[in-house]
Amino acid sequence: MDRGLYIAASGMLAEQVRQDQLANDLSNATTPGYKADRATQASFGDLLLADRTSGRVIGPLGTGVRITGQVTDLRPAALKQTDEPLDLAIEGEGFFLVRTPQGERFTRNGRFTALPDGTLGDQLGNQVLGPDRRPVRLQPDGTVRAQDVGAFNVPNAVKAGEGQFTGAAAGAAPGTVRTGALETSGVEAARTMVDMMASLRAFEAGQRAITTIDETLKQAAQQVGNLTG
Amino acid sequence: MLHGLYSAAAGMAAQQQRIDSVADDLSNVSTTGYKPARVAFRDLVYADGPRGGSPGVLVGSGSASTVVGRSMRQGPVEQTDQPLDVALEGPGFLQVRLADGRQALTRDGQLRADSQGRLTLHTGELVDPVIRIPAGGDAGKVAIAPDGQVTLDGRRLGQLRLVDVAAPNGLDGGPGNTFVPSAASGPIRAAAATTTVRQGALEGSGVDTAAAFADMIEAQRGFEFASKAIHTQDQLLEIANGVKR
Repeated sequence: MDRGLYIAASGMLAEQVRQDQLANDLSNATTPGYKADRATQASFGDLLLADRTSGRVIGPLGTGVRITGQVTDLRPAALKQTDEPLDLAIEGEGFFLVRTPQGERFTRNGRFTALPDGTLGDQLGNQVLGPDRRPVRLQPDGTVRAQDVGAFNVPNAVKAGEGQFTGAAAGAAPGTVRTGALETSGVEAARTMVDMMASLRAFEAGQRAITTIDETLKQAAQQVGNLTG
Repeated sequence: MLHGLYSAAAGMAAQQQRIDSVADDLSNVSTTGYKPARVAFRDLVYADGPRGGSPGVLVGSGSASTVVGRSMRQGPVEQTDQPLDVALEGPGFLQVRLADGRQALTRDGQLRADSQGRLTLHTGELVDPVIRIPAGGDAGKVAIAPDGQVTLDGRRLGQLRLVDVAAPNGLDGGPGNTFVPSAASGPIRAAAATTTVRQGALEGSGVDTAAAFADMIEAQRGFEFASKAIHTQDQLLEIANGVKR
């Protein structure tokens, strides 16, 4: 009987992880080039219950759930025209390549700036690289030409924070680089809010299951075997 | 358990900074030569989530914003017909000298002559190198050529120096409408030859009111989303509290 308590608790814990991911998504609802996460959930292995005296098999019993991973939705989002010469976006699939102190990283967040040596940098001051993996030199009027900026195909990009992704570049990207535009956030606010409400209710249901089991345990402890009852 | 609470709070802080910056832009909608700020957003580090997720399930820590300098797009050139008003067309700045002796840059070309006939900005910074209108000279007859050459009745008085830096977004703010070069901007160098001076005109503020309001609305909504996430996290805590009656 007390197994049910732990199964319900595992559901609540899993919803908490989901809520944390949804809170992060909502926090990034306006972050250019942000890609939303979806939590994947799976149950623990089932147990086979059997009657201890007769040995008769009763059937399988689930032992709860947990979040097993996340899938980042890497599909391209809509572009937003900004007309800012150093705002870049990739129309279609692909990633910009930046050189960071940790090595090469990929990003779709194209709010770039000029570095003091006259090359293109990202918002953290990392150099943005061209198709030949060399720094991108700005034009004399402070703008950048779209063809000077590299777009790489990164099949299995993994989020690394700070707007960056890790992965291995596999040639040029199918998408094209555009200046004067930014890719909007991949977070669909309405869907995320609905997910959040559903998850909240699932969390609540887990709590109800616990209190109900608690009630049953209470009955067992207080009433069963009560002679005066 | 409180992870999501803090990532949502980070999102609210990031949007707050953007709202502040848009408010600053909107209050400078008629400031001559003003350049609006560019705010950049990014997500933050991803760390292992709380219990309830397998090892390797990562949860992000919200978002952050930074001002990555100013938009150096050309502002609208407005005709004023004042002989000492100049507007720059193309990238670059006028070079001026601050009261403390540092060189500074500006695109605010509302010049005037001080008591000694020297050309200054309306906020008092001297044009560098100094251009002096001789005593008795009529400031109304000063002619300023597209290359910045200043003449009075055909007599050359000096040259407005047009300068630029490699990374204008790295310039620090100086007093008034001036910018001061920094390590992030690179040293002052001559502006591109295509940059010209137009006499009798001023460069208006670079703030696009419609875009600024759209930004403001987006930031407000982003702020609301994050606050909803905080509210939900709070409800979770309340429900968790209800486990033990």
